[in-house]
Amino acid sequence: MALGAGWLAFPRVLYRSRPEPVNFSHKIHADKAGAKCEDCHSFRDDGTFAGMPAIDKCAVCHAAPMGTTAAEKNFIDDYVTPNREPQWAAYARQPENVSFSHAAHVKPAKMACETCHGNTGTSDNLRPYQIDRISGYSRDIWKTPGTPHGMKMADCVSCHRQKGLEHSCLDCHK
Amino acid sequence: MKTNRREILMFAGGSAVGVLFTPAPWRLITDTALWSENWPGIPAPARGEIRARFTNCSLCTAGCAVRARCVGDQPVQLSGVSGHPLSHGALCPFGIVGHHLPYMPARVKEGPVKEAAAAVADGIAKCGPTEYVAMLDPRPARTASWTYRRAMAALKNGRYVAPSIDTSIAVDLSKVRTVLSFGVPVLDGWGTPGNVNVARAGFRLIQVEPVESRTASMADRWLRVRPGSEDALAQALAGQISHAAAADAAGLTVPEIAALAQELEQNGPVLVLGSSRLASTAGAVVARRETPAPEEWKKAAPAADLASLPDRSVRVLLIDESAPGGYLPWNAIEKKLVADNPVVVVFACSREGYARHANYVLPVGVYPEVADDIPPAIDSVVATFRIAAPLVSPPAGMVKPEAFVAAAAGLAIGDTLRERADAIHKAGRGTLFTYADAKSQALKDVSADNFWKALNAGGCWIDEPDSKPSAARLTTVASETRPAEESELPLAVVLTHELTPGSPLLSKVYRESNLRLAPGRVALNPSCGLDEDALAVFETLLGKCRVGVTLDAAIPPGVVQVSGSPALMDLCAAGARAKVVRV
Amino acid sequence: MTSANKQIRAARYGMTIDVDRCNGCGACMVACSVENNVPPAHEGATDRKGLTWIRVYKVDNGEEYPDRRTAFVPVMCQHCGNETPCVHVCPQQAVDIDPATGVVGEMPQRCLGCRYCMAACPYHARYFNWWDPAWPAGMEKTLNPGVTPRMRGVVEKCNLCHGRWHAAKEAAAAAGKPDTEPVDYIPACAEACPTGAIHFGDLNDPASPVAMEAARAESFRLLEKLNTQPKIYYRSKKDWVREIAAAPQPGARKEKVHA
Repeated sequence: MALGAGWLAFPRVLYRSRPEPVNFSHKIHADKAGAKCEDCHSFRDDGTFAGMPAIDKCAVCHAAPMGTTAAEKNFIDDYVTPNREPQWAAYARQPENVSFSHAAHVKPAKMACETCHGNTGTSDNLRPYQIDRISGYSRDIWKTPGTPHGMKMADCVSCHRQKGLEHSCLDCHK
Repeated sequence: MKTNRREILMFAGGSAVGVLFTPAPWRLITDTALWSENWPGIPAPARGEIRARFTNCSLCTAGCAVRARCVGDQPVQLSGVSGHPLSHGALCPFGIVGHHLPYMPARVKEGPVKEAAAAVADGIAKCGPTEYVAMLDPRPARTASWTYRRAMAALKNGRYVAPSIDTSIAVDLSKVRTVLSFGVPVLDGWGTPGNVNVARAGFRLIQVEPVESRTASMADRWLRVRPGSEDALAQALAGQISHAAAADAAGLTVPEIAALAQELEQNGPVLVLGSSRLASTAGAVVARRETPAPEEWKKAAPAADLASLPDRSVRVLLIDESAPGGYLPWNAIEKKLVADNPVVVVFACSREGYARHANYVLPVGVYPEVADDIPPAIDSVVATFRIAAPLVSPPAGMVKPEAFVAAAAGLAIGDTLRERADAIHKAGRGTLFTYADAKSQALKDVSADNFWKALNAGGCWIDEPDSKPSAARLTTVASETRPAEESELPLAVVLTHELTPGSPLLSKVYRESNLRLAPGRVALNPSCGLDEDALAVFETLLGKCRVGVTLDAAIPPGVVQVSGSPALMDLCAAGARAKVVRV
Repeated sequence: MTSANKQIRAARYGMTIDVDRCNGCGACMVACSVENNVPPAHEGATDRKGLTWIRVYKVDNGEEYPDRRTAFVPVMCQHCGNETPCVHVCPQQAVDIDPATGVVGEMPQRCLGCRYCMAACPYHARYFNWWDPAWPAGMEKTLNPGVTPRMRGVVEKCNLCHGRWHAAKEAAAAAGKPDTEPVDYIPACAEACPTGAIHFGDLNDPASPVAMEAARAESFRLLEKLNTQPKIYYRSKKDWVREIAAAPQPGARKEKVHA
């Protein structure tokens, strides 16, 4: 019984699910708009990562409806017109004490976005955000389809250890 | 089936072992560890694009250039602008935390604006033939000061009152060989700190004061004199009394004073600070052209000294205390007010200043919320114009003192800072230094609109030196030494000044270390019999108030060092005497 | 941490502090608190219980006027290079010394608050969060996103503004510079000092001004006899300041140190 509770019931109870504010399709934007990851998820001049694009980036194209779906119309009415930022939940959100530099991983290390973010870039919809009720972080960063994979320090450490870049705690903590 | 205790225990034991083979307990451990990292109540800093914005610090007349590191539009850190021709990249501890002023706990957040306006109008109407409406401006020579002067001129009985600061003279530190300072904190809060640092190697500093300040510890020579005897020493050096009499009063020896007199003679140009008995020598103090102002403004009322107003003659008093700055003790002001229901309106950034004595306390925007200009510093040999460009918006409901006073006087005003900038541009001389690119260009090469834009995005106007300089009209730089008060009170008061009000983070230097004496505290020699941090009553001839006590062996017995908060400044001036007793 | 690390040019970040230039203004103390999200003093804070990652001490030569001389000495974590005391004693391994930068880094999130490191530090440069941090309403808007605020019950100390080091590393990576080279940045105290008394740089770089100043005869370190090999060098022309830094036995000279 304990085994059943632990393996089956516990995960259901531990996580609370909420959908993302807008059901954004990466696939449509990649195919039809010819957008690559860095077109919307860009670096600023000082090397910092801009993260989720702000509403003005979407408004560049979607100031007026480009398709016929009701979802797009709702998006324009709810967010673009009133200039309101959607409250995206970032699956890979790190704790406050972590200093993660996208620039260091993308530029000198030349890592592909998919290495940590999986096939998000070719997905058709945004999966619901499963939040761990106790810790407050996402159950899955959607790195590997099928296996829920949280973003733990061990993942960073294993890759860093392999590359011989393990100097000090404060390399990644702030 | 009947369950007995053994079966329950076996079930529990089996479950406990079983659950260890599930992810649950391990997950609970790691998750509670993660939960404990996001401890409730600990704020997470806001994230966003990091930008640099520029302004000038309006907390004192140094007006140092400021580079603000902002997250989005919110300043999170201030530093100096390196390469700046006036401030040379320096910023004092108060300027470094200037961006906290909007959040200081003693800030005035709301006030009875309509009632105050009505009371002022009423008071103006009721003024008798020998009564006045007075505007007290503790920070004169700003563009707003011109507006106050014009407003008082527009009223038939208006008087503009300000501490006398002569903006037509300046100190040329690059020419000075000796500085004789009677208690003026030359190296820690005088002039423009960056400029003083740059000029430091070129002059010898002789600091005359009873207690070793930071300036005295860095000076080339510290002369320890008895409190209140600075005036006697100045008189002796000016030839007004004998060296022997001064030596007696000050606790120095006659050869010391003679040697000092000789040094001043031989090592000129000499700059004298803190006493008007002794003039500085030629070259140390130079004439300086005024920063241009619109011609129409020049009909403004001249500044009057508070002392020149008859006692009991002011029916309406307006005080602009919208920034930290000089504090005139209340008793000097109070005796000028009429006895029956005077109206006192204070535009206050903090509840701790004149707000304690006013009928109406009106909230104002503080640095860095509101635009204000900073008059040229005492050690700037040419005229300057700097605007403290706002970096954040003030809260709703703040009053603009300039607009209020102008309306009360029936004076129509426009954007006075813009009009001033246009007048400077019309005069056509000088250079514009912009902070973002650290470039200087002649004002003639910039359009009036671009000049205005540059001043508001971080820039300053610097006049060119006068091709035909006139001699300085005066060679004494403001402030007087006063003889010691005669009274029975046992302790001689020595004042020390910190900029108030200030950021809560200044607790680092006030309370979490013993580097500076916090405003509202007194320091005494350990032989005084009080304990460290004791609450005591500080009493002078003018009244008493509660203070915290700091023990410092560097304070001679018989002396109390007072860190001037407005409440303490109301009770004493230099030369006062006091007593401090346990509560 | 491991021996199989990628070859990098290791830096040894250090400072030279000119005691003769320090006027005790406290700008460094205030600027450090702004950069590192150190909260203002709690109600009960005193100079023994305060949080001052850098603290300026007033010292004097013990004489009476007119022979009395005073100086101001800023002290922060000395980043001991040899047998770092706090690293040795921590039961949680919440402190480590970074072989790539020489910085002794404190991890407040790992600390359990035993304060053994505070006892071990010969320079009293470690500070304990006796209370949860509290900022006046609205002032939390001015917090620096580059540094995490700490909760009560943990020890914290100077880490040579590691938040600024992170930002410099990120900018270098974005600019395509090789990640085997140390980065150039300036900590808040050195940037803020109005008299230019604090200089910061890489002691391993012989061309850097700090390395050259540190190598001069008049540079000294605090408590040299302990052989902790700190990376903070002090300079002064006054012999009595050097004597205080060497901390002779009590009674060996008539001195009053206001610490």
